[in-house]
Amino acid sequence: MSTAMEAMFAGRIHQDGHALRRTTLRHTNLTDPALGICLWRLGGERFRAAAVAWGPIGGPYKLAVAGEPRNRDLYFSALLPFAADLCKRIRRVAATQVARQRGRHTDYLPADALQIVVPNRTTVAALGLLGRYLAYLSDRGGVAPDPALVEAGKHLRFYARHARVPGQALLVPLDRLLAEHWATLLSPFEQANLAAVDAQIDPPRGVHAFDSGFAAEASARIGPEPTEDIDRITDELLARFNEARGGATEPATIGPLIAPIEAHYRRLVDPVWALMARVVDRERALPAAPSVPRRFEVDREAFGRRVDWVTGGGRYRTTDTPRQAAMTLRRLEEPLARYEAEKAIEDPAAMVPYLLDGEAVRGVVASLNDQYRVRFRVKAVRRAIIALDTDDPVILPLGKKLWWTATAHDHHWEVQDVTANGAGSRITLMLYAAPTPARLPGVGDRITFSVLHTSSDGYRLPPPQNPPWTHTSAAPPAPPEPIDAGDGDPPAAAVDGATLPDPGVYA
Amino acid sequence: MPARRNHVDPRVDAALERVRGRASTLRPSVRRLAAFADVHACPTAAVAFAARVDTNRVLTGTTLEMPFGQSPFAIGRGVAFEALLRRHGHAELRRVLTEGLGVDFSQAGIENLREGYQPNTTGLKLRASVTRSRMAEIIASPAEPVVLDGAVLRADVGGLPAFFEADEMAIGVGGEIVVGENKSWPVVDGRPTDEDALGSALDQAATYVLLGRRTLDDAGVDPDRVSSNAVLVTPRNTGLTAVLHRQNVDGRVRRIERLLSAVPHVADIATSVPADVTFDVAADTSLPEQERVDAFAEVSDRLGRVYEPASCLSSCGFAWACRQCAFATGDPALSGGVVARALPGVVSLSRVAELSHGAPASAVEAPVAGPLARAGRLYDEAVPVPAPRRRRPA
Repeated sequence: MSTAMEAMFAGRIHQDGHALRRTTLRHTNLTDPALGICLWRLGGERFRAAAVAWGPIGGPYKLAVAGEPRNRDLYFSALLPFAADLCKRIRRVAATQVARQRGRHTDYLPADALQIVVPNRTTVAALGLLGRYLAYLSDRGGVAPDPALVEAGKHLRFYARHARVPGQALLVPLDRLLAEHWATLLSPFEQANLAAVDAQIDPPRGVHAFDSGFAAEASARIGPEPTEDIDRITDELLARFNEARGGATEPATIGPLIAPIEAHYRRLVDPVWALMARVVDRERALPAAPSVPRRFEVDREAFGRRVDWVTGGGRYRTTDTPRQAAMTLRRLEEPLARYEAEKAIEDPAAMVPYLLDGEAVRGVVASLNDQYRVRFRVKAVRRAIIALDTDDPVILPLGKKLWWTATAHDHHWEVQDVTANGAGSRITLMLYAAPTPARLPGVGDRITFSVLHTSSDGYRLPPPQNPPWTHTSAAPPAPPEPIDAGDGDPPAAAVDGATLPDPGVYA
Repeated sequence: MPARRNHVDPRVDAALERVRGRASTLRPSVRRLAAFADVHACPTAAVAFAARVDTNRVLTGTTLEMPFGQSPFAIGRGVAFEALLRRHGHAELRRVLTEGLGVDFSQAGIENLREGYQPNTTGLKLRASVTRSRMAEIIASPAEPVVLDGAVLRADVGGLPAFFEADEMAIGVGGEIVVGENKSWPVVDGRPTDEDALGSALDQAATYVLLGRRTLDDAGVDPDRVSSNAVLVTPRNTGLTAVLHRQNVDGRVRRIERLLSAVPHVADIATSVPADVTFDVAADTSLPEQERVDAFAEVSDRLGRVYEPASCLSSCGFAWACRQCAFATGDPALSGGVVARALPGVVSLSRVAELSHGAPASAVEAPVAGPLARAGRLYDEAVPVPAPRRRRPA
């Protein structure tokens, strides 16, 4: 983050009254249509989705409402259509495969992957917890849970974990999508409210982004965690529902009683659903960056592997071994570096912070010598030398490695000299590879060099099978286990904070 | 340990009363202290804290009232979890302490200080006295461990006595005192389901550790007998079955100590806050909203305001009102401390915008004018067609 850039954004947004684009391209794949999911929990109940809405973004949604989500029978019965539909969609998408040739090796990837779009990162975490709950369920009274619930749990857990991969597009939280693409007057804390971000991006005519965002923030409810006012209504409806059902859980009894709770959640979901469609439409209108298909191919590969494993009855650890943790960290760090590099290289707006922070230089090629000879060990080799005249003065250490953005996947250049040149600087750079036409800019070209590159940093050995004692825990991580013991206990009674001397104790 | 001043001058009392006006008061609690920790650099928040003003209720009924309410289901879950720990002679608490601390608590004496005392300052004083006595008994090394449910620790906050209620305090665990905090959010696979909540809970436990050490110190007992490893008791997985976690909170103890010493002394407030600065008008629900909001803006203008979105919005009842003030004045703090600190000498966001378009800079603006102009120029090059501009209404 460049503070000068952030300050410039804040000043201009305050003056102009609307958000500004951080990028000129879209850096996230958006399939058409993606599967939207909107979730509402019961307050404080991390595993209880009181309502789940799902369907194609821009289209109608289906709504699963349990009534009393703390009753296992009612809860699973309500979640089953969602779980079955999710599994069906995932299997259908994964069924069509395409061949990919890499050298002499051919592998098969799903032609597409099911993309899930949710309003915010909190929903990603909520889906992850729901997935963890459902993925390993115990039998109850000798009755095994429906396999669709278990399979859906495993898929949701995978999606939530995969959402940590930088640049991935399997599970897209829209608040993060907007934060990457737009600058607003909202801090990261405030950006969790998708309605507020949207209102700053597209305020009504004559209304400043700040006022528009504040109005949305004060009135819009996005979920999944309900506010006090929402759950006060839920509490009343739930009390009536529980009284009317008298302990019954059969669909025939429940069906007619659940309508008021369903209507309550429909009133909450409707505006969020419309908002999600509007946000996706607006972002989809922007051209996709060239690297978007590559990243989605990585997503498809992960998706295909996971679906094969899950449908084959495979299980995954719920706690990583030290070795797995180290490998996971590497799997997250490498895509982050590459994603940041691709974004800046392809998108001139995303390169600006690097230029401001001195990690990139831009200028005009003043001269080019592709017949320069330099002695490496025993023999002289041909290298290219260019002089780059920058608009602004730059400070670069000699020997600094830089990559020309047009060949960021290729060899680096090294800074040979930096001298003052009018208002800017003249940088002499040498290419560290044989000069070929594709590797050389033309004299007079305006080009950018940066520390960013998209080539691999080299082959990395896998971590040892047996980690050193410093990285070995006293006991191996527990195998995956059900976490549903106690989910059949009677639900706790709701308590009005106004009746307590200090309700903050339970915050 | 800092020296403490207990005696409150009647003139100081009167001055605090005047600052509060019709604003609701709030007894200091560990959560209030934790919330203040996030905003202690703000003079308005510091005065409100020292004067015991309930910041969450000053602007009640206006559009700037912060939505800090809690779901009745979340409160119900917390109540149910605590009830579970106390049920059948604290059977569940005994089990979890025995398993988690490796000391047999099945025969431990458990003293429930939440019952049998008046729910007022007198009751709190008595409970604090019992807590102090029991803690001092650690010298005698009792044969059986003792648990105080609802132990009360006394502290001076800004020169006024305050009482803090710990969920439990286990005395006699390997010669040490262990403080504990109960939370109803679950832990799954050894990880909390809410990492922010974990940080807050550990801050609360660290406050009890600090106050417990001060209490022992006052009694002439080695304060280090209060363990640095605090205890968190939470439900495990989807049910309410309790599980115990231990965590070292030494770093947090030092932070809380610094924080307590940073709370302005009420006597200083009484002398330094102008006589006509009061939350009275802002808290007067009979007045029109605009009048109350303007009154708050005036109070915070005169006392000084440090708006930091990340901490204020999660901790302070004045946050939306301060954000509104920051917007109205074009305060760079609107975008957070990082941006504000990067703009020394630049008075407003409008000026930032002008400098980013290449406006000539004054001498004091010169250090930041160059980077801003460059940022603006590079951005304009990269995004050549700006979105149509709309004028902000007057």
